[in-house]
Amino acid sequence: MTNPGWLNDIFAAVMLVVAIYSAGRLVAGRAWSRPTHRDVDVAHVLMGTAMSGMLVSDLNPVPNGAWEVVFSLLAVWFVWRCYQFVADPSTGIGYDQHVHRLSRRLIHLVMSLAMLYMFLAASPSAVGSGGSMAMGAATGPATNFVLIPLAFIVALFASAIWELDRIGRLSPSRATQGQATPAFSSFGRGSPVVSDNSNVADQAMDTARAPWLAPRFEASSHIIMCVTMGYMLVLML
Amino acid sequence: MLATIWLIDGILQLQAFFFTKSFGLQMISGMSSGNPSVIARPIIWSGAAIGHHAVLADAVFAVVQTAIAVAIAWRPTVKIGLGVSIAWAVGVWWVGEGLGGVLNGTANPVNGAPGAVMIYALLAVLLWPTDRAGQKASFLAARAVGAPMAKGLWLVLWGSFSYFAVLGINRSSQGLHDLITTEAQGEPGWVAWIDHQAASMVDHKGLAVMVVLGVLLLVVAIGTYLPGSFANATVVLAAVIGAVFWVVGENFGALFTNGATDVNSGPLLILLAAAYWRGSLRPDPEPVPEPALSFEGA
Repeated sequence: MTNPGWLNDIFAAVMLVVAIYSAGRLVAGRAWSRPTHRDVDVAHVLMGTAMSGMLVSDLNPVPNGAWEVVFSLLAVWFVWRCYQFVADPSTGIGYDQHVHRLSRRLIHLVMSLAMLYMFLAASPSAVGSGGSMAMGAATGPATNFVLIPLAFIVALFASAIWELDRIGRLSPSRATQGQATPAFSSFGRGSPVVSDNSNVADQAMDTARAPWLAPRFEASSHIIMCVTMGYMLVLML
Repeated sequence: MLATIWLIDGILQLQAFFFTKSFGLQMISGMSSGNPSVIARPIIWSGAAIGHHAVLADAVFAVVQTAIAVAIAWRPTVKIGLGVSIAWAVGVWWVGEGLGGVLNGTANPVNGAPGAVMIYALLAVLLWPTDRAGQKASFLAARAVGAPMAKGLWLVLWGSFSYFAVLGINRSSQGLHDLITTEAQGEPGWVAWIDHQAASMVDHKGLAVMVVLGVLLLVVAIGTYLPGSFANATVVLAAVIGAVFWVVGENFGALFTNGATDVNSGPLLILLAAAYWRGSLRPDPEPVPEPALSFEGA
């Protein structure tokens, strides 16, 4: 039993839009010197492209094995970002919502692992001739690990709801207020600016004064990404 | 949490089975079985209508439930979302669950009766974002309706569980065993294994187990009237019972069978119990300017 093709087409189209938009954020952030979460945007580009290919196999640009490597590396990256925060919670001096900053890294780690799970657990019979994959229920040994996708689904949907709850408080204008000089790199490289390096710190302050690049659209992209990924995982239960 | 569960329900509705005629003509219409004709006829009519317009109907169901989740999560629309969720829950309880087997004698709290969807409605009422003027609630569920009403609703809910536990076939020696064994069909191997182990434990002990369960449920029902720490102990017991129901009787809401429309009652009972935890309300913080949340540097 398979889902209606039009439904997968809609989700695939939405994922492509999110991927293209996230790629646009990377370009716009650099061109306009606007702060953004660069690693998150990169993750959204990769996940959006991969998921559209999983939903509509003709859209898959690379073999599944390549995606497995990509999402393994992405997971390692977010593990490293989590470790960075745990090892040095002062990363991002001037910003007081440390728990939330960790949660952003954690949820993208979860999303990377969920992508990896979907590629590894997908039914071999669903793999198309071109090496691409259509969505379907997990088969074989993966059926014994259905709690894993269920845990992913709960985490993703909880993150989507949490983000939706706070989206009303996000706006570019407010992002420039109340944070006079957050002395950290806001370009997503995540490396804290050392305060005794005045040149680097000054640059960071200059860029930090610029309004955040479309925070509500960034949050919306995350919500859509979580819901779509949850939908795909539900199909694999 | 409530919005998250509604979102899960909305996405579950997008599973392949629900786009087929079987959803309406078999699953929905089947809920009419054993119910009085005044209850059964609307169910049969709705089942036929849904079955003959399966794709459209299911798409609408998914959109409505997802919209409820979004409305509850987004603060400006939270009251609209909760209000719609109550109306939706009542409709689903009738048409989609046949009133949870209350009128045909098949209700058993172990597998989610008298209907998880009514707990959605109850939670929507209890979590309504309004403080009663001049009253300080000692637990979250009392904020909107007041402590007496909240305790009364808890008593009715858990008291009904206790009643249904010892009703009719549920107190037969093999009733619980047969129920759990039936639930194992279509589940992954390890879930079926849990069911078979549980079924063998209650084999020919159905009456004794259900009487004990009925007593425990009654203790939970009256527990909210006990002093603070004792009340919290019964709240913990309620959460534990909800978890056991979810694993053994409900098989994780049958989420692994590709035919689940919701997560069933287990998680909702745990969420409900959390709302009755004494001391769950923290004093309102001093108003401070909201931080610029988008500046995370991560």
